[in-house]
Amino acid sequence: MNCLVCYMTLGYPNADTFEEFIEKSQKFGCDILEVGIPTNNAKYDGPVIKSSYKKVIKINLEEELEKLSFLIKKPTLALTYLEDHINNLEEFLKMLKKNNFSGILMPDLIIDYIDDYKKFHEFVKRNELNDVMFVSPTVPDKILQEVSNYSDIFLYYGIRPTTGIPIPISPDVLVKRVRPLVNNKLIVGFGLSNEDIKSVIKAGADGIAIGTAFIKKIDSEGLESSLNLVKELRGILDEAK
Amino acid sequence: MENSGGNCAPMVGNEELVPEFWYNIIPDLPVPLSPPRDPPDGDFSRIDLLNEILPREILRQQFTVERYLKIPEELREKYILIGRPTPLIRAIGLEKALNTPAKIYFKYEGYTPTGSHKINTALAQSYFALNEGVDHVVTETGAGQWGTAVSFAASLFDMKSTIFMVKVSYEQKPMRKILMNLYGGNVYPSPSNLTEYGLNILKEKPDHPGSLGIAMSEAIEYALKNKLRYLVGSVLDVAILHQSIIGLETMKQLEMIGENADILIGCVGGGSNFGGFSYPFIGNKIGEEYIAVGSEEIPKFSKGEYKYDFADSAGLLPLVKMITLGHNYVPPPIYSGGLRYHGVAPTLSILIKQGIVKWKEYNEKEIFEAAKLFMRTQGIVPAPESSHAIRAVIEKALELKKNNEKKTIVFNLSGHGLLDLTNYDSMSRRVVS
Repeated sequence: MNCLVCYMTLGYPNADTFEEFIEKSQKFGCDILEVGIPTNNAKYDGPVIKSSYKKVIKINLEEELEKLSFLIKKPTLALTYLEDHINNLEEFLKMLKKNNFSGILMPDLIIDYIDDYKKFHEFVKRNELNDVMFVSPTVPDKILQEVSNYSDIFLYYGIRPTTGIPIPISPDVLVKRVRPLVNNKLIVGFGLSNEDIKSVIKAGADGIAIGTAFIKKIDSEGLESSLNLVKELRGILDEAK
Repeated sequence: MENSGGNCAPMVGNEELVPEFWYNIIPDLPVPLSPPRDPPDGDFSRIDLLNEILPREILRQQFTVERYLKIPEELREKYILIGRPTPLIRAIGLEKALNTPAKIYFKYEGYTPTGSHKINTALAQSYFALNEGVDHVVTETGAGQWGTAVSFAASLFDMKSTIFMVKVSYEQKPMRKILMNLYGGNVYPSPSNLTEYGLNILKEKPDHPGSLGIAMSEAIEYALKNKLRYLVGSVLDVAILHQSIIGLETMKQLEMIGENADILIGCVGGGSNFGGFSYPFIGNKIGEEYIAVGSEEIPKFSKGEYKYDFADSAGLLPLVKMITLGHNYVPPPIYSGGLRYHGVAPTLSILIKQGIVKWKEYNEKEIFEAAKLFMRTQGIVPAPESSHAIRAVIEKALELKKNNEKKTIVFNLSGHGLLDLTNYDSMSRRVVS
């Protein structure tokens, strides 16, 4: 079955709406949750997710994570930059573990810490969390192949340079290039349209990750509409193979 | 090599040497290339701006990383029309003068009608703009080589072109302006009164000499306002992708004569001629030494920092991670306009940081001596930019002589300098040898 990874920024746009999104998206077909930890330094995120971080930057992280822990039914990953935790990684990992997270996904690990990524990977594993790795099309083939063997659960392949900006690309070409190199589940994300979703699944992806689209729906039409999108995506994925 | 139809003209019959695919080194880099970024405190998304001004196919090529990309046949025909493959020439005169056991070859991009490698990406970008129904392209130019290439490329596809030329160059280099006009380009001195940006500068300072950053801002504003397409000269990976035609041809030409390249050398402005020439060799692990040459007056290799910086001096393009002197760096008005760029293309920056590509920097006197020797032994007037590569070639050839090593040096002569004669004249007065 094709996997649906749903992203939401922690506490966005407010505690109640966030909690309801988490609770219901799991019922409506989300397989894996990805929760964004607000930061002022969202170096690889697009404008929509960046502004979502800004709106909730003042939340109490510990309290919000604890509230979330009671709602988690599906595997849940924290999406956060390694740079933000480089001095207190262990403490942060322990907090995730305590609050029922299954793992962590650090989009800057392979790009900015390529020489040390195995060391950080071991560190995450020692703290009994999964380390899901993020790669982009600018990761060379040799490294992509190696990283995909290390990545837990799946390999996250962000196919646009940033989230939420409709850069014209050929998703099928990008997936076909890496599919033979990846000995793992391949989840594709970053600015996917419905057409893109069909095309990446056809090209061999095992699932998709969606985030910006949920935030945009919440902002423009409200929570219900974003939850309908979860159902719609589930439908597209189920039909796609 | 076949000779079609018995025609004796040297270039006819060589067309099969023009590659059918471009080569992209990104999948073969030693470490990941950092993605372009928007500045954290930016008031608009630069990445989104690219979306609005570049031909869509250019953006697609920039971000759809694949090792080999098919060159559309119609475009390949235009490459042949402009005289590709450009010649690979053995520099026997220079070898003799240096009395070196090394063999020296150069790929001569000055052979193209506009006199430099710039036409290789200008043609591609114009072609893709036309394909989406745009009949008018816009760009900026400093020294004039890029503007010349765009003027001609646009005319070849029956399109209009508008070029914002830095005012001081416009006034000091009338020949370049005339050439662009003859090719059909509309050339305006920047700052101009065609854009808000230019008007505001002129209001403050009517005799402002202009800068590349200002010209670029004007070109982008003009393209946005008139729904035209903006063409980008060197900074993006996609420009190097198109330039890979240089290296791919060189590889085939060397293969034809049974020669192996040991040492590859090229000059670096932004990195597109060096990358286009050397990446097919580097990516395929051919050759043992690669040397990128810059100017001592723009010391980006020796003094630049590896960090995120704006790709352009105006700060309108995204941040890219590269070796840079800072986008606010004001380069001195040196003899080699094409090297007056603050950064080194991100892929080349990686190769330098990883020690795969070595670098050299030379001053005006050193490159002037090299240019003269090359002119007197080979007859070609090299562009002052390309003379930097020649200087490195001479040093290397003499080093090989000292060690009696019979290696093969191949360098890219990225352009001729026939429109830089006044430049050489003033150099000869400054440099007393």
